[in-house]
Amino acid sequence: MENPNKPSHDALLSLANNLRWDLGVNLHDAVIESIYEDASRIARNAVHKEGDPATYTLERRIDQLVTSRWLGFPMMFLMLALVFWLTVAGANVPSGLLANVLVDALHPLLKNAAGSVGMPWWLSGVLIDGAYLSMAWVISVMLPPMAIFFPLFTLLEDLGYLPRVAFNMDSLFRKAGAHGKQALTLSMGFGCNAAGVIAARVIDSPRERLIAIITNNFSLCNGRWPTQILIATIFIGGAAPSYLAGVVSAGAVVGIAVLGIGFSLAVSWALSQTVLKGEASAFSLELPPYRPPRIWQTLYTSLVDRTLFVLWRAVVFAVPAGVVIWLVANLHMGELSLAEHFIYWANPLALVFGLNGVILLAYIIAIPANEIVIPTVLMLTVVSAGMTGEGAGAGVMFELESIEDTAQILQAGGWTLLTGINLMLFSLLHNPCSTTIYTIYKETKSLKWTAVATFLPIVLGLAVCFFVTQFWYLFQGG
Amino acid sequence: MTTLAIQPAFALTTGLLVLLLLGLLFWPQKGLLAIWSVGKANAQRVLLEDALKFLFDSEYKGIPIRLNGFAGYLHISTDKAARLVESLRSIGLVQFQEDMLKLTDAGRSYALRIIRVHRIWERYLADETGVANKEWHGRADLKEHSMSLEAADLLAAQIGNPVFDPHGDPIPSSRGELPAYTGKPLSALKEGELGRIVHIEDEPGAIYAQILALGLYPGMQIYIMDVSEDRIQFAANGEECVLTPLFASNITVESLKEREPLKEKYAALSTLKLGETAEIQAISPSCRGQQRRRLMDLGIVPGTLIHTAFASAAGDPVAYQVMGATVAIRRSQANLIFIKPSSNTKV
Repeated sequence: MENPNKPSHDALLSLANNLRWDLGVNLHDAVIESIYEDASRIARNAVHKEGDPATYTLERRIDQLVTSRWLGFPMMFLMLALVFWLTVAGANVPSGLLANVLVDALHPLLKNAAGSVGMPWWLSGVLIDGAYLSMAWVISVMLPPMAIFFPLFTLLEDLGYLPRVAFNMDSLFRKAGAHGKQALTLSMGFGCNAAGVIAARVIDSPRERLIAIITNNFSLCNGRWPTQILIATIFIGGAAPSYLAGVVSAGAVVGIAVLGIGFSLAVSWALSQTVLKGEASAFSLELPPYRPPRIWQTLYTSLVDRTLFVLWRAVVFAVPAGVVIWLVANLHMGELSLAEHFIYWANPLALVFGLNGVILLAYIIAIPANEIVIPTVLMLTVVSAGMTGEGAGAGVMFELESIEDTAQILQAGGWTLLTGINLMLFSLLHNPCSTTIYTIYKETKSLKWTAVATFLPIVLGLAVCFFVTQFWYLFQGG
Repeated sequence: MTTLAIQPAFALTTGLLVLLLLGLLFWPQKGLLAIWSVGKANAQRVLLEDALKFLFDSEYKGIPIRLNGFAGYLHISTDKAARLVESLRSIGLVQFQEDMLKLTDAGRSYALRIIRVHRIWERYLADETGVANKEWHGRADLKEHSMSLEAADLLAAQIGNPVFDPHGDPIPSSRGELPAYTGKPLSALKEGELGRIVHIEDEPGAIYAQILALGLYPGMQIYIMDVSEDRIQFAANGEECVLTPLFASNITVESLKEREPLKEKYAALSTLKLGETAEIQAISPSCRGQQRRRLMDLGIVPGTLIHTAFASAAGDPVAYQVMGATVAIRRSQANLIFIKPSSNTKV
């Protein structure tokens, strides 16, 4: 039954709306504030605190120490340096062991087994030389450092120390338009960029989180350290007098890492001033109380949630890439393989950037993991330069025990000091690996930001290499 | 190698040129791409809609419409303005009543639609994005011509159907209603009168920026201390301000009948020294959207006690203790949190 006196639905809504105008501008805040105000007054009257003042003062003491003007930063650098040293030093042995088993022992065994059951050469090539070898490489190089780095990092986090690092670093990152917690995602990126991107979840302000995600790739990850060290030793150490070689090449690698941090801050600043200017931003940083770390839980979460998770993603991408790597070296068009076609075609272009066709191709097909860039480069150099007696055949990635032999292959491939420097720069400034790209997409749910995070470093890297190369030629007199 | 025959100097110049070209194309807001995408909007329709907005605003505030002011507002010649009025009349959006230019009902509802989109978009920019307050108006001026009313309604529903824009202007309802205009310019208040800012005019931009720089915002309570021919002296939230009448006429106030107790001058949280405790008085209204919600989540609400615990190694941010937790607050935020001065109680 319609009541004729009852105001209609629309009239009611419009009345309600008119009344809201009379309530003034800040109604919502006023309501929320008064609720909080009442609640806190009631709580203050009703709750009686019986804290333990002793632990509390101790905690404050520690806080004052780790955030002190003189000790705060040195303590932080020491702590991070220790973590990196433990990672690098500790990972050597298990990495070698894994490589021995997976690459040196199991790979020939599999090849033999495939031969004895009469598998055609191309099938065993695709499956064993391509897919299996690429997976084996990724696991043996990636797993040990991550299995050391992540638990250590998680321990520091659990202890409550990392939020203090973010607290101390905030003033620097604020000037770059970023959040202090980006110091943590940046450090995490030194372990693995994909993990660093995931770690950006701790930043709850949308703009600063996007900045942290997009710039994480400028942290030199575990997969790129070996490349940097190898190339620095061969080319930069080789150019210095022998008694300085070690110091100079180590300095070059650290320089590249620091350059990466510089790029990270500069790009953060540029992004926050331009494309990300309009994204919402809200700073908040809680400093939780210190507590004894829960060792087993830490081990479990860092190994299962971080290490195995990232490793699994890397393996998923490495397998098809291994197939592609084998195929480009073995599929022929006319006289030459696809790889050689590309290398000869790309060489003139690559030389403008001080690189070469092999490097470009290696970075394109080794996109799943930076770990397989050097093995791919070596294989492609041997294939394209037509060397005999090196490596294990077309499409089979390899590494050499001796640095001198590696240097010989690269120099035979036409590498100079300039190529070495540019490779180090390009290794820092190029697209993230496919695992990281995929992770960025999962975290941002945005094709646009994924594309920015992917292509921005390549453009930067090519520009930097280009100018370095051309200035080099200019001062060398062509 | 043959490729090295390219002169490095030539290559460097080319490289720089390519960088310049890329910058020219993609520079945000000033690049060709940005300009081109703005220029795509239909210029004739934009002009027509801006004209309707101006006519409506004048009617709403009871200001008589002159062709000069009309042309000046739209930055066009008087001739062109006259032609524009004629074309508006021919499509039935305006009419002449006793030689006065009036909007027809159709014209009024068209204008209200544009204003609704404009103000909803401003509110959205203020609450949900990090766009600076000086840019809200300019961006909404572009958006109002491209966003449909349906899209604006959807957006309004998402942000809680706001009834005021961030400048304090009412947002027309989806049925095209708007409350009666009650405000008067600040310059009309007399000495000793009390008022509350309801609106700060965002045009011209230079004046708006200066008013913002004084820290004035809608909702602020003001008390007129002294009025002379060339200056108006008043207290806003206990802080003394001086404006010329021209500037003051860009601020709309409503007078407060009863003399509410004038609150003492607020002190900012950033002035609290290490080891001191104070009671929180308010969060400044210029802290909006996510940042405001975040602070409230952390327990920064009126009545809470806050204690300055320790500073970071670089001095900013500072760690405060509030509701049993330690939270870091940057100085720029601490400037927007007001505390009761000279209270010194234990947490």
